[in-house]
Amino acid sequence: MAAYRIALERTLCSGFAACAKSAPEVFRLDESGVAETLVGESDDPSILDAAAACPMGAIAVFAASGEQLA
Amino acid sequence: MKKRVATVLVVGAGPAGARCAETLRAEGFDGRVILVGGEREAPYERPALSKEFLAGACESEGVLLRPPLFWADREIELVLGTRIGFVDASRRTAVSTTGKVFAWDALVLATGARPRRFPGPAVRGVHTLRSLREALALRRALRAGSRLTVVGAGFVGTEVASTAAGLGVEVVLLAAGRGPLERVLGLEVGALLVDRYRAHGVDVRLGARVTRFVADGRRRLRTLVLSDGKRLHSDAALVGLGAIPECAPVSGLASEGGIATDACGRTNIPSVYACGDVASAWRPSLGRRLRIEHWTNATAQGAAAARAILGDEQPHDEAPYFWSDQFGLRLQYVGHADKWAAVEIEGERDSFIAMYRGGDGRVLASLFANRAREVAAFRRELAAARAAA
Repeated sequence: MAAYRIALERTLCSGFAACAKSAPEVFRLDESGVAETLVGESDDPSILDAAAACPMGAIAVFAASGEQLA
Repeated sequence: MKKRVATVLVVGAGPAGARCAETLRAEGFDGRVILVGGEREAPYERPALSKEFLAGACESEGVLLRPPLFWADREIELVLGTRIGFVDASRRTAVSTTGKVFAWDALVLATGARPRRFPGPAVRGVHTLRSLREALALRRALRAGSRLTVVGAGFVGTEVASTAAGLGVEVVLLAAGRGPLERVLGLEVGALLVDRYRAHGVDVRLGARVTRFVADGRRRLRTLVLSDGKRLHSDAALVGLGAIPECAPVSGLASEGGIATDACGRTNIPSVYACGDVASAWRPSLGRRLRIEHWTNATAQGAAAARAILGDEQPHDEAPYFWSDQFGLRLQYVGHADKWAAVEIEGERDSFIAMYRGGDGRVLASLFANRAREVAAFRRELAAARAAA
C-alpha cells in the first residue's frame, strides 16, 4: 500500500498547473486545462508540495491510516 | 442557420485569452485560432511575479502557463509582441499597431488591465508591477539592506512587501487608508495583518500618501515626499495603486467600468466577446455587472467565451475566488462583499477565518488565512445557498 492517497476535486480546479509543476509524475492537465491524476496513490512526497501549492485547495492527501495530511 | 465560425482572433495572451484559445481546441473547434499577445513572452502567469519570481525562486521559464510546444501542438497560432490598434467590426478585421491585418469571424478581447501610474515625470527606481519585464526590473532593485517604499497596500503592494522583507530589504509600506487591503478585507482583518507585517520588520504607515518623488540629477529616485510633509529616503519604490482596464480598440463597444458583457462574454457587438480583467461581466446572482481581476475569473470567463462562440451557452456565475500568499499566510477569499454589516473572526493570528455577513445575516464571503482545508466546503455551501436563493 502506498504512503499517500490523493483526492482531487476537479470542479475546483482552475488550471493553475502548480500541481503538475510540483509533482509531474502524479498530476497533469487534461485537454481542457483541468488537472487530472495519473495515479490514485503514490509514495512520492512531492504530492504534499502539490497540495500545498494548489491555490484552489483542490487537492487533498490522505495517509494510509486515513489521516488527512494536506 | 448559424454561419460557421472559421477564424477566432483572441487579443490578449494572459490567462483569459490563453484559456479561451485552449478551450476552443478542447471543445473540438477545428478552424483557425490566433492568439495575439502584446508582450514578447509566451503566455505566462502573473500571480508568481510578486512572489516566487520576485524572490528569485524561479526564472521566466518557470512562470510559463504551458510548456513551449503546447500552442503549436494544438495549432494555436501565437502572435507575440503585437498590439491591435484598430478593429473594424463591420468588416471583421483587426489591424496591429505595426500594420498587420487579421481577418476574423469571432473576436475575443482579453486585453487585461494596466497598472495605474503615479502622475508626473518618470523617475528611475519607481516601479510598477504587472508584466514579467517589470518584475525583472523590480527584482534587480531588491538588494538586501536597501530600502524599498511600497506605495499602496493592495494585493500587489502587500505581496511585494512580503517578498522584499524576506529578501532582507528594508520595507516601508504606505497605506492611504486605515489599513492594508482595507476595501476588500475591512479594518478588523487589516489590523491583524498590520501587526503581522510589523512583526516581520515592515515599517507600516497608515493614512500615508505620497505627494511626489524627488529624483537626483540623474533622474534616479532619492526621496518620497508624503502628504504630511515628511520625507522618506528610498532606493526604490513600488507603486501599487491598482489597475485600469485597457482601452478597447473597437468603436461602439458598450462599457461599464470595463467592456460590458453578458455572463457568456458577449459584448453589444455581434461576434465580439470580452473576458478577464478588461471585461465587466453580468453576474446573474448579483443582478449587476462586475469587473474583477482574479485569476479564476479570467480563466472561467475565457472558457465561457470559447463555448459561447461554439454555440454552447454556459454562463459564468461562480462565486469570485482569489488567493494571496504573504508574510507566511495563505489568504483565500471566496464570495463577493463590497459592503457588509458585520465581520466575525474566528481563530488566532496564524490561522483564522473571517466571515463577512450582510444585513440579513447571510454570509456573503469568507476569508481563510492558513485554513485551506476548509475552503472547498465553504465554496460548496456558498454555491448551494446561491442556487437556493
